[in-house]
Amino acid sequence: MNLTHRELEALYDIVQKGLNDSSRALSSMTTGGIQLQEPHLQFLSLGVVPNVAGGPEQVVIGVYLGIEGDLHGHLMFLFTPQSGLRVVEMLMEMPPGSVTDLDDMATSALAELGNICGSSFLNALSDRTGLTITPTTPVVVVDMAGAILQSVVTELYLNGDEVLVVETGFNGEIPGHYLLMPDQTSMARLVAALEEIE
Amino acid sequence: MSVETIAVGLGELKGGSRPEQVLVCYGLGSCIGLALYDAIAHVGVMVHVVLPDSSLSRGQLLQPGKFGDTAVPAAIAEAVKLGAVRSRLVARIAGGARMLNVVGAGSKLDIGSRNCEAVKAHLAEHGIRLAADDAGGTYGRTLQLFVGTGRLLVSTVGRGEREL
Repeated sequence: MNLTHRELEALYDIVQKGLNDSSRALSSMTTGGIQLQEPHLQFLSLGVVPNVAGGPEQVVIGVYLGIEGDLHGHLMFLFTPQSGLRVVEMLMEMPPGSVTDLDDMATSALAELGNICGSSFLNALSDRTGLTITPTTPVVVVDMAGAILQSVVTELYLNGDEVLVVETGFNGEIPGHYLLMPDQTSMARLVAALEEIE
Repeated sequence: MSVETIAVGLGELKGGSRPEQVLVCYGLGSCIGLALYDAIAHVGVMVHVVLPDSSLSRGQLLQPGKFGDTAVPAAIAEAVKLGAVRSRLVARIAGGARMLNVVGAGSKLDIGSRNCEAVKAHLAEHGIRLAADDAGGTYGRTLQLFVGTGRLLVSTVGRGEREL
């Protein structure tokens, strides 16, 4: 994907704003205040995407949402099992160490996290570009990172070889990956919308 | 004997003829791990197939291992190049899962099952016997082929290990 410096900056701005909105939404849900770190944007070749979260065999908790509407693509949060449980504790305002496994309650807390972050992020994107973008219902899955990411990447493989990957973390102490992967057509549409803003 | 692990990434094809080699597809989701083995020559080939058919590709075909239709003949050729005899080659496959339960089973978007069907069809077309398969479901698999013995190990998260 060839972006001009300005397009890349506009893209970075939108992503930053989206994450700020997600942060705010999460904070208002919890009294503790959850913050998302400065995003790191990268264009990665599809072959290496399954390696982003500590290698393809690393067991992770994934929260997945599809992107629908004018843009198509995928949103995915990835945590190590330990970090995922810490995020649940933060969301539920429970003391550290009190959530020990991913039961129904923990699963729905993570799905809710996906909902909140996903919709606030996509709303920010939508506000700035005028595009209609909505997330699908979140799915929470625990398995090998490679297997989870592969399923997403495979569909993207049909159209191109590179995806935009946005990485961030939660409150500095909890590492997590937040991946935004629009398909190739959607990237072009997004860039066109960015050009109009400028 | 020290083990030499060879990772087979997305769309890659790797072969081995030395007993210490282990060919591994880590974290197979909707992809298929295809293992070909000649038990007399002790030659093994592993392919990490991503998509059912190369007609789905709009780009140039750089990696034959990426697609079911091109992966099968390329794997056979690689095995023969390493000293296997074509008629002795036996195939085993694993993977083809539906990881994110958002797509209905059997739907056009269920790439896992399409991958599986495609690889099976192309094996049959090329006259390679499929000895075992462990495909489908909603969980990931890691596949290890021990070149020295032909042992093929499937490991999962929370569902144990099994030999194919």
